Amino acid sequence: MLSIKNLHASVEGKEILKGINLEIKAGEVHAIMGPNGSGKSTLSQVLAGNEAFEVTDGEVVMNGENLLELETEERAREGIFLAFQYPVEIPGVSNMQFLRTAVNAMRKHHGEEEMNAAEFMKLAKDVSRQVDLDPAFLKRGVNEGFSGGEKKRNEIMQALLLQPKLAILDETDSGLDIDALKVVADGVNALRSQDRAILMVTHYQRLLNHIVPDYVHVLAGGRIIKSGGRELALELEEKGYGWLGIKDEATADNAAN
Amino acid sequence: MKPAPTLSMAFLHPAGQLLPEPLAALRKQRGTALVDMPLPTRKTENWKYSSRHLKLTDDMAISLPAEGKTGSSLAVPGYKVAFLNGVMMPEASEYPDLSGIRIQSFGDLDDDEASELAQRLDDTLGGSDEKGAVQMARLNSARFEDGLLIRLKPGAALDQPLFIIHETSADASGSAYPRIFVDAGANSQITLVEEYISSGSEPAMVNTVTEVMAGEGANVTSIRLNMEGDNIQHIGATGVVQQRSSRFESHSVGFGGPLRRHDLRVRLEGEGAECKLNGVVATRDKQHYDNHTSIEHVVPHCNSEETYRNIAADQSHAIFSGRIHIHQDAQKSNADMNNKNLLLSNGAEIDTKPVLEIYADDVKCAHGATIGQLDEISLFYLVSRGIGRREANVLLTMAFINELVEQIPVEAVRETVQGRLSHFFEQTFLEA
Ligand SMILES: Nc1ncnc2c1ncn2[C@@H]1O[C@H](COP(=O)(O)OP(=O)(O)O)[C@@H](O)[C@H]1O
Ligand SMILES: [Mg+2]
Repeated sequence: MLSIKNLHASVEGKEILKGINLEIKAGEVHAIMGPNGSGKSTLSQVLAGNEAFEVTDGEVVMNGENLLELETEERAREGIFLAFQYPVEIPGVSNMQFLRTAVNAMRKHHGEEEMNAAEFMKLAKDVSRQVDLDPAFLKRGVNEGFSGGEKKRNEIMQALLLQPKLAILDETDSGLDIDALKVVADGVNALRSQDRAILMVTHYQRLLNHIVPDYVHVLAGGRIIKSGGRELALELEEKGYGWLGIKDEATADNAAN
Repeated sequence: MKPAPTLSMAFLHPAGQLLPEPLAALRKQRGTALVDMPLPTRKTENWKYSSRHLKLTDDMAISLPAEGKTGSSLAVPGYKVAFLNGVMMPEASEYPDLSGIRIQSFGDLDDDEASELAQRLDDTLGGSDEKGAVQMARLNSARFEDGLLIRLKPGAALDQPLFIIHETSADASGSAYPRIFVDAGANSQITLVEEYISSGSEPAMVNTVTEVMAGEGANVTSIRLNMEGDNIQHIGATGVVQQRSSRFESHSVGFGGPLRRHDLRVRLEGEGAECKLNGVVATRDKQHYDNHTSIEHVVPHCNSEETYRNIAADQSHAIFSGRIHIHQDAQKSNADMNNKNLLLSNGAEIDTKPVLEIYADDVKCAHGATIGQLDEISLFYLVSRGIGRREANVLLTMAFINELVEQIPVEAVRETVQGRLSHFFEQTFLEA
């Protein structure tokens, strides 16, 4: 489904991704772990098409198409979905309006009929309950005044509505309490399917207790330095990143505090 | 040194429309006072950005004829008064006889009524003195050919909005001078919708003045839509004087033109009076829009709240100047002024200027102004969901003004505004 070869990317002239190679097949769940600053979000944003990051080398092919030549919205319509590490607040655009516009853009792309407000309302209410968000949130501005956990659940809700082929979840587990983590994990598990791939980006392995990955990759300094099965996550949990000879700035910072 | 340019004498000859004698006399007197009136230049503070767009050539001085059919045959969800080139068109107007409310053309006033009105005209705009008066409004006083007097007796309430459609019909060059005077008695209530439209394609000017006297406890809502064509210079002034516990609400929505200028002046003269002034401006191409507002807190315990938003695309230019003057005696005043601006292109220009003159010490006065562009991260978030770039631009631009559009208290007007905004977006955000 997705094939990344020798991907290099920089931001403001500074190289962040230094040759990423990754193959993901439909139905698989991959976890990318790594210390803060290792380039996890950069990889996620580059795949989604954020132009703030410049791809300087390499290729990304999705279902035979050169992804890097597509605009962000075209990538989304081809099935890429990124759950943002920091979902954006957009006051003045209601969540409902945003979600319906997105769903209808997808439907139009697939030659399906657009949903009217009433139809969509029903669907959105059902899905919001699935991620334990009060449907009242639909009337508020996009992520406006949402707590961290509510924003993350809103991201999962969008994934459930848009039914992507590849869902990239950038630290969707961070900042969640146990209950919220369970809700998010249930949402992600509901996304799992034969024809969908999931790329979970995370700093900690606790989400992986709920969503068991098929493969785990360790990203450090802009490169994947180790790949393995689910046992690699447990090993990281036990031994920390230091075991791989990586300095984890965040862990060190936390220890210092 | 070159002598300062003055108003051409050609402007000092009002057309022969029949006005009751006291009003005709007033007009004549105002005209005499304008002989040698210096025209605004770049050095005139209030006209710094707009003087070069003001075209007062002799062909503009000709009175546009008030004949022919008005295009404003549209049905409105309320009562309607139609003006064509500054003159009321009874056959295109529709309003019932209402107890306690009189809606009359100036031409229909008897001498006593006209004389009483003549005494009060211009009072809300700094009188007829040169100093402190809204300069271009004085030209209206020298030229108006008709007008609308709306009088509400104490306690009277208009049950539906009154739409005043001002059409400037420009089949030839010239100018029109519509005039409205609202005398809202104690505890009366009215919602006015002033809609400015145009037909014809010759360069023309409309110079319009609206005055509102809000009596004790009166509640006046004024909606103003500026939607004329690109051949029309619009110079408008609205003057409001508020008595004790009255409330005035203004919702102004305007699209650009060669020159759009509106001076809005509110004087809070009775304790407990409050005003809320909202404004939305959208300009594109080489259009120009200049809003000047002034709120005077003359007495204690008054509230004012002002929110203006400008959107400028292409090479257009939008200006907001907001003055708040809190007089020495006006303790416990609350004044809140906010102006946010959105530049949709690098070639567009927006100027914003808050002017605070505060002479009382126990007041709450907040003001803020920002100028920015559409947020790239928000845009990325939207398109990453498959939303097209054009639609994402529209969503974010609407988000910038939604709050103000939603506050317009007449649904049909909100729809008109939405329609015009859609048209603006179509022209502004091209399909990628
Ligand atoms: N917009 C940006 N401008 C400058 N530097 C950035 C930007 N985004 C990320 N970086 C830098 O790139 C590196 C990788 O960041 P990121 O991809 O966010 O890491 P992670 O998600 O793994 O914590 C960090 O050193 C970070 O400071
Ligand atoms: Mg990150």
